[in-house]
Amino acid sequence: MVKEIERAGIPVVHMCTVTPISMTVGANRIVPTIAIPHPLGNPSLTMEEEKDIRRKLVGRALKALTTEVTEQTIFEE
Amino acid sequence: MKLELGYIQIKDIQFSKECKVENGTLFIDPEVVKAFMYQDDDVKAWVKDFSFDIAKPGESVRITPVKDVIEPRVKVEGQGGQFPGVIAKVDTVGSGKTHVLRGMAVVTAGKIVGFQEGIIDMTGPGADYTYFSKLNNFVVVAEPVEGYQDHKHEYEHAVRIAGLRAAVCIGELGRNVTPDETQEFETFGIIEGAKKFPELPRVAYVHMLQSQGLLHDTYVYGVDAKRSLTTIINPTETMDGAILSGNCVSACDKNTTYHHQNNPVVAELFAQHGKKLNYVCNIITNENVYLADKQRSSDWTAKLCRLLDLDGAIVSQEGFGNPDTDLIMNTKKIELQGVKTTIITDEYAGQDGKSQSLADADPLADAVVTGGNANQNIILPPMDKVIGTLDYVDVIAGGHNGSLRPDGSIEAEIQVITGATNEMGFGLLSAR
Repeated sequence: MVKEIERAGIPVVHMCTVTPISMTVGANRIVPTIAIPHPLGNPSLTMEEEKDIRRKLVGRALKALTTEVTEQTIFEE
Repeated sequence: MKLELGYIQIKDIQFSKECKVENGTLFIDPEVVKAFMYQDDDVKAWVKDFSFDIAKPGESVRITPVKDVIEPRVKVEGQGGQFPGVIAKVDTVGSGKTHVLRGMAVVTAGKIVGFQEGIIDMTGPGADYTYFSKLNNFVVVAEPVEGYQDHKHEYEHAVRIAGLRAAVCIGELGRNVTPDETQEFETFGIIEGAKKFPELPRVAYVHMLQSQGLLHDTYVYGVDAKRSLTTIINPTETMDGAILSGNCVSACDKNTTYHHQNNPVVAELFAQHGKKLNYVCNIITNENVYLADKQRSSDWTAKLCRLLDLDGAIVSQEGFGNPDTDLIMNTKKIELQGVKTTIITDEYAGQDGKSQSLADADPLADAVVTGGNANQNIILPPMDKVIGTLDYVDVIAGGHNGSLRPDGSIEAEIQVITGATNEMGFGLLSAR
């Protein structure tokens, strides 16, 4: 899906836990997430802590989306 | 470490008031098994009732939803007991003598999650995809207490324990029976083995264990594999009940407890041990849901391969999807240590077989054995009798809305069949 959307000329950020698969399938902008069953949250944290995590991940994704890349890039920060 | 297995061939199972094994027939009183299962407090707390049935090869019988398959055994000599750390006390198994009731199994069935459990057909085209159709099966169908829906983990635990207890109860009947055949298995200390077979390549088995949580777990001496680092285990320990299944979705490529007891990779490595290779040990490693865990566990696997001075490793996967990454990480890192690998996996290549087979890949993973394409479609004709219920056929992994047809036949992917594309190579699909 990532590749097809990008083929249509729209940049895509792939947020996922298993970044090696994302690299293998050819995503260009990758943001690592928490865990496979709960990519954008963590049930062991409080609601406030989770909100903080989500905000940071979405922020990172938006930053990745607006960053020019010349090769497949994982945005850790 | 040396283990002797004594095989007692079971050709038939009959319900009886007396419990015994005589001339290859298991006579069993289900009430005795039931009482033994209910001695466990968790079973008492979560299982409302059990019903029992017998399914024999060739009968028009469908068993579903299948949770686990277990071979009844009994420790007759040496350290430890059956299923150490879970049923017997924690003690190292894998040496001494164990009697095996061969040709039969305890099958646990009944709804736990519904979509997570499998199907065993005793005849017809479905039977050709599962080895368990060739066994005399003592089927235990569990029924949960009211309100279990919010406690599925506790209920799964209770049914898992119940199945193991049933196998222990039946296995005990083989204690004083003279085996039809015995076989010995032995591996050596690292230096001892190297001195004994200086010319032979050193080979280990990297045994990947499903440990994703959410009822996809494996237990080693009672330890949940997701909470353990990669470690070493003697092959005879795994043959003697040290590793137990706590998962069954997708049914086709999850290792039941029976698979662990009868791992064909272990069997084949033993068959070549001292002839073509020196079978050093097994390395067990998990398949967790955090990327950091995948990194750490695969790093550790490669480190151990180097530490053991291996020449080669056989890597078997359990499951598919994200575990494909664990598989590829393990393989790549082991190869980079200069140790040759062959991997055993299965494929999700679409119903037409034209899609990419694995979610991950690497050029270093260049020797691959497949258990088959789990997406392959099959039509399972109606059976005269169903043990369990057909209520979950449409939602079982590999089924779809309309899988269960009005005449009782099933159209689904072979994914629904317990053990169909097993990644230890414990399957009936073959190109040979």
